[in-house]
Amino acid sequence: MRQIQGTFFTGYVTISVAGAYPERFFNKLVAHGISVWNMKKESATVCSGNIRLRDISKMRQLRRRSHYKITFTAQKGFPVRFRRFKSNTPFVLSLCVSLLLIVVLSNLVWKVEITNVPKELEEKIYAQLDHYGVHEGAWALSLDEPSIIQRKLIEDIPELLWIGVHKKGTTYFLEGVEKIVVEEEAPPGPRNLVARKSGVIEKVYVSKGLPKVRVNDYVEKGDILVSGELGPEEREDDENDDTDKPKTRVAADGEIIAKTWYETTVTIPLDYINDQLTGDKTTQYSLSIGSLTLPIWGFKQPDYEMSYEEVHNHDIYVLKWKLPIEFNKTVVSETERQQATRTKQEAIKKGIAQAQKELQLKIGPQAEIISKKILHESTEHGKVKLILYLTVEEDISEIEPLTQGD
Amino acid sequence: MNKWQQRIKPWLVNHLALPSDTMLELPRITVIGHLHVYIENHKGLVVYTEKELTLKTNHGHIKIQGHTFVIKMMLPEEILLEGTIQHISLIES
Repeated sequence: MRQIQGTFFTGYVTISVAGAYPERFFNKLVAHGISVWNMKKESATVCSGNIRLRDISKMRQLRRRSHYKITFTAQKGFPVRFRRFKSNTPFVLSLCVSLLLIVVLSNLVWKVEITNVPKELEEKIYAQLDHYGVHEGAWALSLDEPSIIQRKLIEDIPELLWIGVHKKGTTYFLEGVEKIVVEEEAPPGPRNLVARKSGVIEKVYVSKGLPKVRVNDYVEKGDILVSGELGPEEREDDENDDTDKPKTRVAADGEIIAKTWYETTVTIPLDYINDQLTGDKTTQYSLSIGSLTLPIWGFKQPDYEMSYEEVHNHDIYVLKWKLPIEFNKTVVSETERQQATRTKQEAIKKGIAQAQKELQLKIGPQAEIISKKILHESTEHGKVKLILYLTVEEDISEIEPLTQGD
Repeated sequence: MNKWQQRIKPWLVNHLALPSDTMLELPRITVIGHLHVYIENHKGLVVYTEKELTLKTNHGHIKIQGHTFVIKMMLPEEILLEGTIQHISLIES
């Protein structure tokens, strides 16, 4: 059997031999080294059998010196199939075209994705990439290497600190880091630092200018804290000297921390209402088209006495087009109302905390509240009214430009 | 020379226990039930029909009878016959 194994790959034909004693022709073939298999006597004068494709010419030579008539009844095997396939022009053509299409399409740039940069810079990068020829639908083979694009982009867009360009299949991924261009501040003109509000000076830090106040001085609003005019002390009696020596004007800079005071009034009700979620909730889903809402899940209305509804809307997109349908998710949470009463002490405590919080918001995080005092408290109509006195340490300096020539 | 070979071969087969089919160029017939007959060392096909296969050998003929015969494989010295086998006879000439 070894002899006829693998004949599918080399190909074989079925021949039909007609003539007197056709089996003798096969005998002759075998004697000349041609393997024959599946030999069958169809009738007294016809016998068929399989021989290899490569033995055909040898068989033809042997037939020439005989009276047998040979017909090929079947051709089988890989070479035969291949030949038949080659002759099927439309199929071959479509296969070639589809292969070509795959090659062409996989060599196009399908997507350019830029991440990590602000919108306007992204536009700039897109424009620059367009200039290099990198855009959707471009022929990827004609483009530069990602590393070259990367270098060019960094050179051409000054706002970019760094950009990574990766090509992944048919997509270009760009990841940029924006250079934060810090504009040099224009050197400030000559100026004084004056008090923004009255207070007692606690600390004086001057980096430029002539300090006019000392620690523990009391200053009023508008008093000069740090002077931008450098030069000899003004002397009332010696006007001539003063005009002779020109004063140097600088931009005073520094931080003057002073103790300042605030008076605030807060009112705290003794009875209060508190709405609380119980943790029980149901979720409902619906589709809305225009003003029409179509529930699709969670039809049962929950039997909550009080509830709080939260609606999340999701737009539905097909590719990039927004459909006029909206998907809504409604979370209905059960709430519980609590009525409670505070004692006066609790109300005062809460009032102080509230006042402190409000003040901190007003004066900024740098300021520090150092002490608080209740000036007055009164209870009327179930409310506690507090007048508070708060001491704060804060920077009170304010810039006042020095104008030339008075 | 040839005569001498003819005489020495049976002696070798008998005394050295060599396989007789190769030494004497006799056909070896393997029969698998009534389905297959496998003949080695034949000297050519004489008659082949659906019902009969006759092969030439060194010392005569082998005749196989039955029906629906198909020669599954035919090589210069081997033949594999498939079908329903009824008789196998060795004819000396």
